[in-house]
Amino acid sequence: MEKVEFVVVGAGLSGLATALVLAEAGAEVLVVERGDYPGSKNVTGGRLYLGPVRSYLPDLWEEAPLERRVVKERLTMMAPGSSITAELSSERFRNPPFPSYTLLHATFDRWFADQASARGAMVISGYKVDDVLQKDGKVIGIVSSGDEIHADAVVAADGALSFMAEKTGLLKPRAAKNYAVAAKEIIELPPHVIEDRFGVENDEGTAQLFFGSLTAGIHGGGFLYTNQASLSLGLVLAIQDLMDKSGPNLSNEESAFSPHNLLEAFKDRSEIRPLIADGHSVEYSAHIIPEGGFRALPRLFTDGMLIVGDAAGFTLNLGVTVRGMDLALVSGVLAARALLRARERADFSSASLSYYETLIKESFIWEDLKTFQHMPDFLSNPRIYERYPSMACDLLEQILWVGEGTKEKLSTTILRTVRQNLFRISVLRDLFTMRKI
Amino acid sequence: MNIIVCMKQVIDLEQIRIKPNTREPVTKGLPLLFGDFEKCALEEAVRIQEKHGGKVTALAVGSPKLKDTIKEALAIGADEAIILTDPMFNDSDAMGSARVIAKAIHKIGEYDLILLGDSSADEYSGEIPPRIAELLDLPQVGFARELEILEGNDQGTNTKTIRAVRDLEDALEVVELDLPAVVGVTSELNTPRLAPLSAILKAGRKPLNEWGPEDIGITADEVGANASVVEVLSNLAPVQDRKEIIYEDVEEGVAEVVKALLQEGVLTQ
Repeated sequence: MEKVEFVVVGAGLSGLATALVLAEAGAEVLVVERGDYPGSKNVTGGRLYLGPVRSYLPDLWEEAPLERRVVKERLTMMAPGSSITAELSSERFRNPPFPSYTLLHATFDRWFADQASARGAMVISGYKVDDVLQKDGKVIGIVSSGDEIHADAVVAADGALSFMAEKTGLLKPRAAKNYAVAAKEIIELPPHVIEDRFGVENDEGTAQLFFGSLTAGIHGGGFLYTNQASLSLGLVLAIQDLMDKSGPNLSNEESAFSPHNLLEAFKDRSEIRPLIADGHSVEYSAHIIPEGGFRALPRLFTDGMLIVGDAAGFTLNLGVTVRGMDLALVSGVLAARALLRARERADFSSASLSYYETLIKESFIWEDLKTFQHMPDFLSNPRIYERYPSMACDLLEQILWVGEGTKEKLSTTILRTVRQNLFRISVLRDLFTMRKI
Repeated sequence: MNIIVCMKQVIDLEQIRIKPNTREPVTKGLPLLFGDFEKCALEEAVRIQEKHGGKVTALAVGSPKLKDTIKEALAIGADEAIILTDPMFNDSDAMGSARVIAKAIHKIGEYDLILLGDSSADEYSGEIPPRIAELLDLPQVGFARELEILEGNDQGTNTKTIRAVRDLEDALEVVELDLPAVVGVTSELNTPRLAPLSAILKAGRKPLNEWGPEDIGITADEVGANASVVEVLSNLAPVQDRKEIIYEDVEEGVAEVVKALLQEGVLTQ
């Protein structure tokens, strides 16, 4: 039997951040990753907000293999045959410190693992942790292929479907409504083509989010991020809605609602086609995203164990901004701080580790999740994906269309649309819920 | 039995992509690991040690990443590792690399057997085993798919020889060599074990030595890009000729595909 001070399960952003901070303080830490490499089982839409992270992890970002800094934000509302895009181009986004960057896990996570290793962490890939070792209700280590590794404390950084959170009873039974599935393609294009098509300069990039008819009434949306020499294009779909529409077999090829078919239809939209033309699709991936928000959070600690990142459900989807990686990194740092304090006191009991929850509660993670706790309810309203985008797109189309014959007064067009679409009880109700977000 | 296993870290070949327009392989930034050949060589060394005792030393030349990569060798069962990561060794041709390896082996001094992959998974030139054998003036055999250590007695002194079965594609050749010797192995030799997680932790506590040029007594005119006499003219993927025939009708399609496969000689009637 081997013993180390700390075992971190999962070499994603949260696990590696924990390991990096622990190792930097001289603690002995082992990171076990089941993928062949850090990042090989990981999927991101593609953007890391560095603003919230810099103060927790300074001096790391100069050399980081980030793709492009986002200087242009686009938000697209889609109706079946039309769309409206709002674009924000801001000088504020063009000056340092840059608020967000696109990135690719395959390169970023490996680099980040090297950073943790360079500080003394042992990052071992290709080993699956099968069980959490418990004794008298206390977590005392892990089991991998029958091999026991004991530790003072274990960190569950094992992602959205954390088996560790389940095994230790920290998570209530999972509900489909708290999860979404994402399907994503990476499409290669030469850097200059990307810069031309998206109207950006060297190292600058865009982030574009889509909502509306592209998800066929399913709570979710699309995303398009520009990397150095590729685009990350994909869809996020609420699992409960998908199940309601197409049954439990989400990969059913026949279903118009399968993530794959919806993504293909999205790629074929006239808004997307020219952006990805002549690109080579080099990677296709899918992943689960925790979307339950504040009210779905598990208990964050137990005797000898903490939960970080996606495993703890730390993601924040506001429809217009989607975050997860910044929360993952910061939760990892805070977990490490709590563990280092416990190490000083040689006390890894639940009482001692509850300091992690205190740190989370003092941070933006807890505050932001709490502020936006009604967001999941608001975003599960199908009218956001069907009626409202169609109404807005139709209205603008009528206003801007000049055809044969006469054109009616703009006020007539607008009033008719408003009367037909907005004089409804449901709209009042939607306005009322909006107040909470 | 003291065995030295020479190991080369190669990029993960499964991750190489070919640029569709230029046919260039994209190798930048790919992870490094030990190829199957070196893992088989190491596995065999550990098996021989388990039977005959002695010590297994893993020896590797390459990038500083070896400090991580070599842990796998220590976890699988090497007792000690020696790595040579000085930038002076970068971009050596096979001759340069063989000089570094031979000098390091010479410095290790006590050995009965040198095992290594017959070729490396990335370049597959197969030059290293015969070159180091020549530099060290040792007998060598390549394409070994079966090995057996034979302990004998010749007029009162213990003798050790190795019997190797060589894979010559259309024939097997059985060869016996006096030890010490250099043996290049193929991946048919064995199935390398997976080290348990705890063995990797223990590996961190095994001796890991880093030797530089001065340790082995080599100079810049013997190794590295300057000493290289090999020039790579092209490194492109072969042209793939895809017929791109799509059959809409399944019945007809199957018949046509079978006909085409028969024509190409893939199937025989």
